[in-house]
Amino acid sequence: MSPPDLSALNARGRWPLPDGPRVAIVGSRRPSPYGEAVAEQLAADLARAGVIVVSGLALGCDAAAHRGALVGGGVTVAVMGTGVDIVYPAAHFRLAEEILAAGGALVSQFPNGTAPRRHNFPARNLTIAALSDVVVVVEAVQGSGALITAEAALELHKEVMAVPGSIFSPLSVGTHALIRDGAGLVQNARDVLAAAGVGREVLDDPLAAPRRLGFGLPPERDGILIHLSDVLAVSAAELARKLHLPVAEVLGRLTSLELDGAVRRHGPGYVRALRRGKERA
Amino acid sequence: MLATVDSCVLAGLEARRVEVQADSANGETKFLLVGLAATSVKEARERVRSAIKNCGLHFPSRRLTVNLAPAEMRKEGSGLDLPIAVAIALAETGGRAPARSAFLGELALDGAVRHVDGVLVAARCLKKAGFDRVFVPAADAGEAALIEGLEVIPCVHLAEVVAHLAGRAAIAPQPFTDVSFDSTASQPEHDLVEVHGQEEARRAIEVAAAGGHHLLLSGPPGSGKTMLARCLPGILPPLELDEAFEVAQVKSLLGDLSPGRPLDWIRPFRAPHHGVSMAGLIGGGSGFALPGEISRAHHGVLFLDELAEFQASVLQALRQPLENGRVTITRSGGSVTYPARFTLVAATNPCPCGWLGDPVRTCRCTPAVIDAYHRRLSGPLLDRIDLKVGVRRVPLAELAGEPRGEASAPVRERIQAARRRQLDRQGCLNAQLKPGRLRQLPALEPGSRRTLERWSEQKGLTARGFHRAWRVARTAADLEGAELVGDRHVLEALGYRLQDVAA
Repeated sequence: MSPPDLSALNARGRWPLPDGPRVAIVGSRRPSPYGEAVAEQLAADLARAGVIVVSGLALGCDAAAHRGALVGGGVTVAVMGTGVDIVYPAAHFRLAEEILAAGGALVSQFPNGTAPRRHNFPARNLTIAALSDVVVVVEAVQGSGALITAEAALELHKEVMAVPGSIFSPLSVGTHALIRDGAGLVQNARDVLAAAGVGREVLDDPLAAPRRLGFGLPPERDGILIHLSDVLAVSAAELARKLHLPVAEVLGRLTSLELDGAVRRHGPGYVRALRRGKERA
Repeated sequence: MLATVDSCVLAGLEARRVEVQADSANGETKFLLVGLAATSVKEARERVRSAIKNCGLHFPSRRLTVNLAPAEMRKEGSGLDLPIAVAIALAETGGRAPARSAFLGELALDGAVRHVDGVLVAARCLKKAGFDRVFVPAADAGEAALIEGLEVIPCVHLAEVVAHLAGRAAIAPQPFTDVSFDSTASQPEHDLVEVHGQEEARRAIEVAAAGGHHLLLSGPPGSGKTMLARCLPGILPPLELDEAFEVAQVKSLLGDLSPGRPLDWIRPFRAPHHGVSMAGLIGGGSGFALPGEISRAHHGVLFLDELAEFQASVLQALRQPLENGRVTITRSGGSVTYPARFTLVAATNPCPCGWLGDPVRTCRCTPAVIDAYHRRLSGPLLDRIDLKVGVRRVPLAELAGEPRGEASAPVRERIQAARRRQLDRQGCLNAQLKPGRLRQLPALEPGSRRTLERWSEQKGLTARGFHRAWRVARTAADLEGAELVGDRHVLEALGYRLQDVAA
């Protein structure tokens, strides 16, 4: 596929974009809680450093990246696979409005009125790569659309970076493969800024990150929390077995932690919440 | 000559008395049947004529009029064959039917008396209406003889009945059916000991069985949802006598009672396929509605596998019975009410392909498809389900290594104790407690009440959801033998309540 003609893009909002480094943050539409938190955190930190965050307005990592950029008070661009007048998925209508209100833009290479079509999205991924200086892949299973973006970025001689994850997580298979093939490893926003050539700002100390992510928990509860992962869900039954407690008791304690925002349900199990008390839909 | 014989027709779980009057008079040879008879009753003319002739009895070759009184009530069913034939025979011979006796049965052309549905219901109602004796088909005599103080005459053949009435050859009455409890008769199909791992789901099933709460199991194909549900009858206590009677009456209406053992002590377990129609699930049919699956599951378990595949309108119709334990259906014949106090156990996949959230296999559904799938489940029906629990698929290789659970027997004992505690305290199971009654129980520690209120508010529970969580907490406390509902019970209950369906 040939790179799209950026001057021919349709746009709503501020277009052309203001000057500044542009970083694409992309990843799975169904990320783990870890992936979602990383996308949001990274986008927020990059936005604070004046980076324009580019993503695809899809569910999961894309939405988290846009949201993070808005939290960081930055400008963010949504590259859409539909016409700019059709927000897809429709649930992101409000997010799209917020992106526009914050001085960002919705852009698309497709004419107005183009409905979501499966075959249009790979072309959209190319545009994301073309618009950005660096592409960061947060989480991607094998064959994910985010990997198409990464490949396109390589062909366009853009920097590709990837966020490592758990070796047990299928969602990190794609990103680990990228790192093995030479993609830059992202541990925090500084790594990305360095790759984008704006390494002056010192954003934060990576070692301090976990505290900000919110683990200041009452000590007596750690009995359960240390057995929970932030990527892979653990069921109450497994926990009960490890802790030698009745499953009813574990279920109650997990619910208590969930209600405090320290634990989240993920499918049939539980994961550690990476942010406290801020429930998102 | 004129003869009168008593009988009845069924209207749901009630029987309405019918007087069959036969009069043979001079005039052209004719057989008239009047009194708002439906087609099945009109056809009785042909059966009765042949049966009487083939018994070697004389069929009047005069003007014969049979009236079914009261005339404004529509009559259906073949149970009036026998009383019509008996009335004609009596009118011919000038005999009289014994006092306070009723007749019920279908006739074959050779005069044999055949089975009719609902004899148990008819017998109960006739006894209540002051009858002392019923003549019923021999095949159904066992169920009629469940009614204490009612003499049951088993009828094999019309000729024998006529001979009995004429005093020539008496038929021995059916002995009273023994209803003593027989625990060896029914062995449940599955035992919990076959379930490896799945501690959460096992616990949820135990709570559901102990308090009569509705349960939703959600998990990928092959995770054992159906297996778990089928273990339920084995951990429920046997039916009480009056409960067994109610179950038997519904079965009797459908002709489902086994002649040898009309009273069954094991709780019903009904698992209709997801293609079931409204009439099949709720009850229906022409004239008077017959009971549906929900009434067959009365005092037992209604298992709906693949909940999202059921027609939306059918699921909507479950709401009334789920709330008040009975269902009222109106058809052309009038409206009838059937009992339907069942424990609903539903199972669903987390998404249409089934693999959402599975650790190994990848889900292929688009978010929009998953959304639509959950929308079919969400709302009022889910709000009435107290316990939601995710069931995980245990990979085959690990299955053997999973801890074996308790067998059904000790679990059943705990459940029985918890149920007894509830019945002694409030006369019903926790799931059936009215909110007003729930508040009167001195049962919530002050701290737990605050916990419940605080989280209900945060998680946006409806008032109904709030009370349902409270009831489940009450059951958790009863399983433990605790007088007061504590924090841990409330939290456990909320844990089941807040489980996402997409699990």
